[in-house]
Amino acid sequence: MENEIKQTNNLSIPITIIIAGVLIAGAVLSSNRSGTNNVASAPQPQAVAENTGGLGKLAPITSADHIRGNPSAPVEIVEYSDPECPFCKRFHSTMQQAMSEYGKNGKIAWVYRHFPLDQLHSKARKEAEATECANELGGSDKFWAYTDRLFEVTPSNNNLDPAELPKIATYVGLDIQKFNTCLSSGKYAKHIEDDVQNAQATGGNGTPWSIVVAKNGKKYPLSGAQPYASVKQLIELALQGK
Amino acid sequence: MYGLIDVAVIIVVFFFATWLPNFRLLWGVLGSSGVPFLDKLGLPLNLIGGIATNFTLFSASYTIAIAVLFGMNIAMIIYFLRRKIADARQAGISTGFLGIASGVLGIGCAACGSFILMNILTFIGASWVLSYLPLAGAEFGILGVSLLAISIYLTSRQIQNPTVCKI
Repeated sequence: MENEIKQTNNLSIPITIIIAGVLIAGAVLSSNRSGTNNVASAPQPQAVAENTGGLGKLAPITSADHIRGNPSAPVEIVEYSDPECPFCKRFHSTMQQAMSEYGKNGKIAWVYRHFPLDQLHSKARKEAEATECANELGGSDKFWAYTDRLFEVTPSNNNLDPAELPKIATYVGLDIQKFNTCLSSGKYAKHIEDDVQNAQATGGNGTPWSIVVAKNGKKYPLSGAQPYASVKQLIELALQGK
Repeated sequence: MYGLIDVAVIIVVFFFATWLPNFRLLWGVLGSSGVPFLDKLGLPLNLIGGIATNFTLFSASYTIAIAVLFGMNIAMIIYFLRRKIADARQAGISTGFLGIASGVLGIGCAACGSFILMNILTFIGASWVLSYLPLAGAEFGILGVSLLAISIYLTSRQIQNPTVCKI
């Protein structure tokens, strides 16, 4: 009996190490494969100078994107964001800071794409649709005004009252009737889903997920609400084409 | 010496936790020949600041707790093994490894969506599980802290117990 217990204790260490190893290896493997596993029909842009896998699947930045700043800027920062994620709220301020330092000189452009995490924030997808309705009714300026205000008023973590969405529309000066019609139509659901699929294809597994794109095509993936110093350093590296 | 091991492990685990979401970025920048040395040094240091921006107060607390307890655990295990208490029960050590395994699942929060946990759940097609976890994965961090604390307690008891021959 004692020998059996002893044997069990002796085996417990290697078993737990193996379990831990398998978990971590699985995580690393899935991280590398996440793009190919999750996306069947994501856009396949031309291959560019890559430093990591998955980033080549970044959907091309076009005039259909929501771009703040100079559309021809040498550095573009594509952000995949969830309006109910508290870290996206924080990173929104970080990006505003980046725009006030580099955007006014036309050095960077901020490209906003949707990445609502349904498992964590069931309300986020509808809120993303609301920003698209703002874009339809008032163009790029209203899209950004609506998005800024949304991040400003939401308590995050799925706590924004849906009744706030039309109030924000009124606040930024949209036609409330048209806004409500647009929002209830669900016409932008596919657009949001396409963004989500592309975020996953590029390797995003949490929000905010950002990709800094240099003029020479080099891409720098940035996961999470990292401090401004990190963002600034990546912008500088991208501007230098390093 | 054990104090140094403790501090070294704490630093390694803490840095690992803050860099975890951005290993791809670090790999790309550190491996690029065109990036100046100071930038290669600066980026990892800047990313450590993510503990203030990319973690909640709660997740930062248990991440730091895991790093500290992990450091203590490793230092105690090394001390324990060096004393060659061959006959001692190893429950403390195995609990420690379970704590580490569990803690790893909870740390490295890529903001919304715990990094490793999200990957594992996505890998096995069970990302919906997250919606049933009230703390969205932080449960594993708490479990890790608890198991590491238990491990330290058990290991310290084993260290204090004299080696005896069992009948």
